[in-house]
Amino acid sequence: MNAPTATKRRTDTAAKTIVAGDRPIREINQEIREAVMQGYTINVSEPLSRHNFAVGLTGDGSVHFAGSVGYYCGGLSNGGHIEVDGNSGWGTGEGMAAGHVTINGNAGTSVGASMRGGTIHVRGNAGPRCGIAQKGGNIVVEGNVGYYTGFMAHAGRIICLGDAIDSVGDSLWEGTVWVAGNIEKLGVDAVVQKPAEKDVAEIEALLASLGVKAQKRDWKQIVAGKKLWYYEARDAKQWLMI
Amino acid sequence: MADDMKTANHPQADEGLIGFQDGAIEGRPAGVPSSYATGGSPRWTPEVIADIHAKSQLGRYQMRGFNAFNRHLPSFDELVIEPATMTRLPLEGYREQCETKVVLGDGLGKVEQPIELDIPIYVAAMSFGALSANAKAALARGARKAGTMTCTGEGGMLEEERAENRTLVYQLTPSRYMLDLDHIRQADGIEIAVGQGAKPGTGGLLLGMKVSERVARMRNLPMGVDQRATCRHPDFLGADDMAVKIEELREATNYRVPIFVKMGATRPYYDVAVAAKTGADVVVVDGLEGGTGASPAFLLDNTGVPTMAAIPAARRALDDTGMSGKVKLVIAGGIRSGIDVAKAMALGADAVMIGTGMLMALGCNSPRYLADYKALGTEPGACHHCHTGRCPVGITTQDPELVKRLHVDAAAERVYRYLTAMTMEATMLAKACGKSSLANLEPEDLRALTLEASAFTGVPLIGADRPFTW
Ligand SMILES: Cc1cc2nc3c(=O)[nH]c(=O)nc-3n(C[C@H](O)[C@H](O)[C@H](O)COP(=O)(O)O)c2cc1C
Ligand code: SF4
Repeated sequence: MNAPTATKRRTDTAAKTIVAGDRPIREINQEIREAVMQGYTINVSEPLSRHNFAVGLTGDGSVHFAGSVGYYCGGLSNGGHIEVDGNSGWGTGEGMAAGHVTINGNAGTSVGASMRGGTIHVRGNAGPRCGIAQKGGNIVVEGNVGYYTGFMAHAGRIICLGDAIDSVGDSLWEGTVWVAGNIEKLGVDAVVQKPAEKDVAEIEALLASLGVKAQKRDWKQIVAGKKLWYYEARDAKQWLMI
Repeated sequence: MADDMKTANHPQADEGLIGFQDGAIEGRPAGVPSSYATGGSPRWTPEVIADIHAKSQLGRYQMRGFNAFNRHLPSFDELVIEPATMTRLPLEGYREQCETKVVLGDGLGKVEQPIELDIPIYVAAMSFGALSANAKAALARGARKAGTMTCTGEGGMLEEERAENRTLVYQLTPSRYMLDLDHIRQADGIEIAVGQGAKPGTGGLLLGMKVSERVARMRNLPMGVDQRATCRHPDFLGADDMAVKIEELREATNYRVPIFVKMGATRPYYDVAVAAKTGADVVVVDGLEGGTGASPAFLLDNTGVPTMAAIPAARRALDDTGMSGKVKLVIAGGIRSGIDVAKAMALGADAVMIGTGMLMALGCNSPRYLADYKALGTEPGACHHCHTGRCPVGITTQDPELVKRLHVDAAAERVYRYLTAMTMEATMLAKACGKSSLANLEPEDLRALTLEASAFTGVPLIGADRPFTW
């Protein structure tokens, strides 16, 4: 992984503010990328729910959106701190390798799809397929999560403080889904297990670091039942037969 | 009447004589030889019977690599090239030049570094996992020497392949293995895979025997599991979303590299029209004959549109949407030779992509290590056992001992020579047709030998000299 060019967040300079409005996304992103790479904070007003903001960030600076954003905000980033004062569309932080995304409202479908590292924190609810095909990192949702949360997650953690509806943890690999509220229905091959104390402590520490109030929670940890892992008979001898 | 005949006092012949019982076939007491002794039911063929036997023992469908069997498909062999004679002028085969270069990604004016290939033939997406690291390295080196490129396939970016290549397309499949900023910025093109011709509508598949430690690490998988990928992408569904996704990829790569969309041919006219409208630079259409490393066998034979029929439909889609020239069309599925390349280009392809043929150039099905083919229940020339991970020649395996059998230098040279030979075949045909560039090949250079080929392609049927249409 590329080392971010600047690794320290800079507090020496006043934050820069730009207006997104209907300016070309490419131009806006160039300004955001440059600032974040150099470690500055940049405020973006009038994001107007447009798609593809803050894609491909590196560095340790911050970007703050004063309003809602569209699809793939923070997608494919390898650093940076993103905060959205509003809701976000599909694929928030998809394919992220490092960095931090905070959505102060709700997030649409496929939050953190296939992310490989970093943290996504949704203060409201998250839509369906939250953490689908996740490969690493953490997704924290303070509200509820939609159907197929964690579908085929390979690694990493999805932590839901509210309820999970249909098909949570379907077809998991080594990813895990944590639910503090109710689980309406488990997905195929999903198994609830009592979490180890050490893992709970890790989760609580992560929540504390995100400023989530500590309280006693009834954690359900969902892991793979592993029945689908060997779906096709994998004994080579059987394959030779045919 | 019969009774009348009896009463007419003709003597009844002895039963033994009527029944050929003199010298009768042993085991057939009636002595009547069966006219069905060799079977011959077109419905219950030996393959169908064997398939039922296999399924009834295994309790599931069969799995295999390779591509469609068991079916007569009109093929490129049923088209012929019609060179120049009196109405057109041929070019000198050995002296005059025929341009072979192709540029992918220059049409929309969005890409800073379009891909320039010396020849319009490149190595198809075949994953590390399906293929060994040696096979990937040899393909990359051979392609580079021939001035062309390879594509990573589903399994992430293999260091050896990146190092050996001049031009490498990174495939973004629904599983998104290893896909992050760092890796896509090392790519020279990005291909969004929405399907493949061998098994359209289903995802990638890699059986546990091939999920070695390295494969597992690159894919974030537990070692030895059967990897079945999803068929849908995790963060977009329809074409509208895909258009946004393509913009995201352009943003992440700074508008540097072209974006490809690869699909299996199912409704090629409409699918290509929609893909072209999503803003992709290149549309790749893979026909029914397309190869694979592993698939449920019945999908290979029963799903999709044959390559030959998909090409004219795809070209029409680009013409009708005004995207010809802006969006390039790459065709794959069953391309074997420069002759097939010329025919595909005459039908409307801007370039072609080859999988199975490349494996053969590496040494697939070559007559060595006979005992190992035998252990697989096959022999050189008939092997299609890539899914087992026991490839006798080290191509589609992760077994370190088998992998060693593929000599990278030698295999790379064979890949290079195969690409060169195909280019020579295609240019010779083009020059015979009077074309100074492969890109100038056109449907008028073709005629169909069979009704099916004519109906599939709209190319005039020889004799009738008009297309067979309704
Ligand atoms: C061993 C093998 C592995 C393949 N892996 C992939 C893959 O990872 N992703 C993909 O889109 N297509 C894959 N394909 C399909 C090829 O990209 C290509 O579409 C096909 O091979 C073309 O048909 P041909 O084999 O007749 O040339 C694979 C094919 C083979 C033979
Ligand atoms: S020789 Fe190897 S690559 Fe070729 S069909 Fe057999 S197993 Fe597959």
